Amino acid sequence: MISAVHFKNFKALRSTAVRLEPFNLLIGPSGSGKTSLIEALLRLRYLAGQATAPGPTSALAFLNGPQIEFHFHPPFQNVRVTLGCQADELSCHRLRVDHPPGLAGAGQWAELRTQLQGIRAYLLDHQAMGAPGLRSAGTELAANASNLAAVLAQRAQQAPVAFAHLVTDFCRIMPEFSGFDFRGVGEGHVELRAALRDSPERLSCENLSQGTLYLLAILTLAHDPQPPTLVCLEEADRGVHPRLLREVRDALYRLSYPVATETPRPVVQVVATTHAPYLLDLFRDHPSEIVLAHKQGNAASFERLTDRPDVLELMRETNLGDLWYSGILGGIPGD
Amino acid sequence: MKLALLSESPADEAALSVLVGYVLGAPFTRVQPTLRARGWPSVEQVLPAILRHLHFNTEADGLIVVVDSDSSVVHTPQHEAPAYHHPGCRICRLRTVFRRTLKNLPLNTAHPTPANTAHPQVRRERVLRAVGLAVPAMEAWYLCGRDTSITEAAWTQGQAAGRVPYSRSELKWRVYGTERPTLPHEIKRAVQEVTRHQGDVRRLEHDFPQGFGSLARDLRSWRAESSC
Ligand SMILES: [Zn+2]
Repeated sequence: MISAVHFKNFKALRSTAVRLEPFNLLIGPSGSGKTSLIEALLRLRYLAGQATAPGPTSALAFLNGPQIEFHFHPPFQNVRVTLGCQADELSCHRLRVDHPPGLAGAGQWAELRTQLQGIRAYLLDHQAMGAPGLRSAGTELAANASNLAAVLAQRAQQAPVAFAHLVTDFCRIMPEFSGFDFRGVGEGHVELRAALRDSPERLSCENLSQGTLYLLAILTLAHDPQPPTLVCLEEADRGVHPRLLREVRDALYRLSYPVATETPRPVVQVVATTHAPYLLDLFRDHPSEIVLAHKQGNAASFERLTDRPDVLELMRETNLGDLWYSGILGGIPGD
Repeated sequence: MKLALLSESPADEAALSVLVGYVLGAPFTRVQPTLRARGWPSVEQVLPAILRHLHFNTEADGLIVVVDSDSSVVHTPQHEAPAYHHPGCRICRLRTVFRRTLKNLPLNTAHPTPANTAHPQVRRERVLRAVGLAVPAMEAWYLCGRDTSITEAAWTQGQAAGRVPYSRSELKWRVYGTERPTLPHEIKRAVQEVTRHQGDVRRLEHDFPQGFGSLARDLRSWRAESSC
């Protein structure tokens, strides 16, 4: 959906751009703009969803303030959306849309606008996920996955095939488990419980490990029959054993490359962040999916790994994770 | 026999386990927990520690290591000359690590098994070595017999001419139907393909005489050793 984002004076992103692929893994130190990119995407969703989103005729004078310009993949390649504000304003809260003239152009913007409403960002919280959830709040996964139990209970009822795939995948990765069940608790609340393979015991979510819950949330997204249009996932590696990071990558690929897993649904663009060199190692065959976020003093910038001319040569004798850690690639904290 | 396998991914491991069984012609058990490395440089870096671990802490009779050659130099019969070592060849490099590490470990006869039954019952003096090289990647082995144009010779001739005949990603497409297979799909396809060689690995040895051939020769030398 989104092909590139250009930043001008947005927080530390003074003057930089990032090209977006179906799958994007951002690496870099704190304050290097990874979260700012996600914030910009969420702001785009919010402003594009406002009833009064203006067209090209209402171009706003925010040339001197921060600007974030979005470019799109076909069929929206002729639409351009800019977020900005005037120099004396604090945040990019205005939106300008440039689209081709006439009904066709307006139609394109209307369709794109609908798709932009499907942008979601997640920062998973295992403590919130462990608690029983209100059964009626399970339509879609919350930003911290706090309603995981309700989402899965609803999916088990409304999309049993997709739910079965999710359970099969989870139990393959975590062979100590054999499935899930749901238990009503309190007023309209539901609790998710995991069944152990070698024991009649059921483990309630709050007794599942952090990594188990994170993996379950990621699989819940990956097997969603009606997923978001763009998924941002912060700290995709969090809590996951290094040997299971391949499963995290595969689950996210399931979203962004549905054809690869014969999943009949549109591409979900993925923007994930990580601090794990071991996750980075798994992109040896697809280094173009890595985006380095550099921080120089107070300024930050993005660079696609394959825009470096020497990267393939560097990768001959060294893992990507080690290259990153060594500092050769950049995307490291200042000394 | 009790064996340990070290390769670059769980799918490689699954296929390798099948092939090792075919070459040895006898069942074997795997050392637990299984070993894993993160691609080429890690295999070489972690190998000394793995050898020490297998030697002192396990009943492993042998360690089988197979890595992808990627764009590195492919092993040749000339590399087999006594004391020869090609610094760009991964088989030569792995063999050197084996030799250097094992040389510095005491023979097991010098460390008799203690009465404590929890301690491994070690039968061999040293961990046996088997090293293979998938040229340029394991997927080439998986296509052996399906596509006669995919051979070690085709690859090395292409390397010499500065134009390799196929890429890793092309091989992946051919085997998995995608460049981004899930792990279960990758394992399933890898095992399906190598199972075609059940009972007869001559085709693999013919098409991949150095990378697979070296592995098979190492494994067969174990049979000779264990029958002494
Ligand atoms: Zn050699």
